[in-house]
Amino acid sequence: MKRLLIVDDAMFMRSTLKMMLRNQGFEVVGEAQNGIEAIRQYKSLKPDIVTMDIHMPEMGGLDALGEILKMDPKAKVVMITAAGDQKHVMDAMQLGAKNFIVKPFTEEKVIKVMNSI
Amino acid sequence: MSTHDPMMEMYLFETNQLLNRLEQLCMDAERKQDISEEIPEIFRIMHTIKGNSMMMLLEDIGKVAHRIEDLFDKLDDISLSSAAIETIIDYNFEAIDFFKREMNKLELGGKADGSSFDLVQKIEAFLESISNGEKPMVPPVSSDQKYFIPPSDNQTSFIASEQATPDAYFARLFFDDDAQMENVRAFTIVHNLKDKAEDIVYFPEDIVENEGSIDKIKEDGFFILFKTSESQEEIHQYFSNLAYINNQEVNLIEDQDYDSILQDLKPKEEVVQAEPVASPPKVEEVSTVGASKQNFISVDVQRVDQLMDLVGELVVAESMVVNNPDLLGLKLNNFDKASRQLRLVINELQDIIMSVRMVPLSMTFQKMSRIVRDMKKKVNKPVELELVGEETEVDKNVIEKIGDPLMHIIRNAMDHGIEDPASRLEAGKDEVGKITLSASHVGGDVVISIKDDGKGLDKERIYDKAFEKGLITKPMDACSDQEIYQMIMNAGFSTKVEVTEFSGRGVGMDVVAKNIESLGGAIQINSEKGVGSEITILIPLTLAIVDGMMIRVADTIFTLPIMSVKESFIVSQDEVISNSDGQEMVMIRGTCYPVIRLDKHYDIKGSHLDHEGIFVMIEHDDEQVLLFADELVGEQQVVVKSLSKYIKKVKGISGFALLGDGQISMILDPSGFMMA
Repeated sequence: MKRLLIVDDAMFMRSTLKMMLRNQGFEVVGEAQNGIEAIRQYKSLKPDIVTMDIHMPEMGGLDALGEILKMDPKAKVVMITAAGDQKHVMDAMQLGAKNFIVKPFTEEKVIKVMNSI
Repeated sequence: MSTHDPMMEMYLFETNQLLNRLEQLCMDAERKQDISEEIPEIFRIMHTIKGNSMMMLLEDIGKVAHRIEDLFDKLDDISLSSAAIETIIDYNFEAIDFFKREMNKLELGGKADGSSFDLVQKIEAFLESISNGEKPMVPPVSSDQKYFIPPSDNQTSFIASEQATPDAYFARLFFDDDAQMENVRAFTIVHNLKDKAEDIVYFPEDIVENEGSIDKIKEDGFFILFKTSESQEEIHQYFSNLAYINNQEVNLIEDQDYDSILQDLKPKEEVVQAEPVASPPKVEEVSTVGASKQNFISVDVQRVDQLMDLVGELVVAESMVVNNPDLLGLKLNNFDKASRQLRLVINELQDIIMSVRMVPLSMTFQKMSRIVRDMKKKVNKPVELELVGEETEVDKNVIEKIGDPLMHIIRNAMDHGIEDPASRLEAGKDEVGKITLSASHVGGDVVISIKDDGKGLDKERIYDKAFEKGLITKPMDACSDQEIYQMIMNAGFSTKVEVTEFSGRGVGMDVVAKNIESLGGAIQINSEKGVGSEITILIPLTLAIVDGMMIRVADTIFTLPIMSVKESFIVSQDEVISNSDGQEMVMIRGTCYPVIRLDKHYDIKGSHLDHEGIFVMIEHDDEQVLLFADELVGEQQVVVKSLSKYIKKVKGISGFALLGDGQISMILDPSGFMMA
């Protein structure tokens, strides 16, 4: 079973994702509300996949992605982004994110992305 | 409310929180006339609202948030005139109002059917006006598109192979209609393909830098030429497994065709070098920035209430054990030690439970500044609202019930209290009216006061009106100011002839009074004609548990809130003096204090001793009174059980408590003993 860490500052998004992932047999091992927490949790939980929001307080998703990849170049990070945010997503992909999901998303798409990486 | 599905519940909860924060940010920005500090947070909040709303398929809400997000994205690199700032803040407020209306509908189980059209248009127009002169978002797509049409000879047979020399493949991929950001998707595919393929060339080649490439990809698909040692079947499978891929063609390319295709695809000898080679895997300690502050869980208030009740029972149970009559006269050193420890722990537990329920008033106060802001534009009176002590914490219950009363009072103050600028100048006042909203803890109460420097209440008119309505029968001279002012709390009472949009015909004040009463609070009104009015609301803190001082009068045990006990002492009876009305007094340190003998006061018969009892000085509102009782019994925390409705209100009694030994004790209310 794949173990996931969900990073998003919106509680609503975290729970939506969690629900979708759990429905499909993924294990959500941690949740973080900002980049700093994400890095800390990544270190201690070593999840298989991280879903990462881009705009968050304290430390955003791009910085966190960079840090996580520094710690673990093999980290699998999927960016969660909103429509119209090409610039940041592209940055993220160039930094080494594995894939991205655009809000609003469906369970089917989320699972497909998760399975493809 | 609880009938919502959990997603909706969560959505509403979070959005409402964000809206409150947003409102506060906008108020701050407006006060400073500078929005630069708030930009990032407002942007983020709008971003979150947009994302959440889109997930809930609430398009109109999402659209408004999206437009404002766009707007704030732009603001970062533009210097703004103060007029522009004002417009931006106004849009924000409009958006907040729109969101709130929609949230309300959703909360009531309705549909969020408000149209965002007007607001969105306004924001878009404004966005355009400030971004004039900037380069358009999407650079025009070059017209001479060069793309490759794949060879039609699909005959190229499928060869399952594990060849040493990699085969070349040419793939054309189409994305789902809802894929979005196709250029980034294309990039991702190329990026990930590098794990299994080499010599990757793709078209459109400008996917990274040109968002216009999206249209090409949508129309013609995304072309990739690459070499891999995997089989065609495997490659096909690989693409099928990718998310958002709708349609694909994968063809094996013969050697002789490869170059020509490459030529077509790659006119500029561009090699894929998109990835800035990932920094070496040096495991570096991430600078651990201080622990993050937000660590909230949301808990049902009912559970907190239950917990609170249980802690209350625990306190009683503890004292039932510790003060158990069976233990009387026993020497129990270790037991005493252990029970002291227990008491400490319970105290701490109690403090924590209390603090869990405490919420700062700042949100409520912020709402008031919003009301003042909106109203001053409409009533055309410049008014400044000063907030003092917003950080004062009160019970959650209080927060819920105090909002409406404050709103009514403030509206009244603005509408009726504060004069129009011309009259203010005439009266020698500052043109700008001032309302001060303050909160503080005084003893066991939270005191919230609303003070304005307006024209004050018109005592004569209030009296006349009250007299006319039969609310007062005494002549005016016999009424205290307080009595007259209290009349405005009666239902349907208003001296105002015309009704305005904001404060009507006194429908408000009786509701205010009811709300405050339901919190066990009291309202005081002070006013001076021409100078202003002050309405003070006193609300007891959650006094579910009180530190009590037990005093005995004959067989009756009263509990006094320790907070109000100043001192206690024994004075011989001949030091008690009486004045001409028969009021007994005791002179202490040069001041005379009135004495109330509790036995007489409550007509308690019994073993009454005329001998020396004890005087307890209690204080309320800077006033002191001496209570005379037989003896002090001790100190104990008690759980307050309020008076049931069927018991007539007895002056000086605020509730009951169950003592450790099962006895019932009346809790005295110091304010009920004051002479004034």
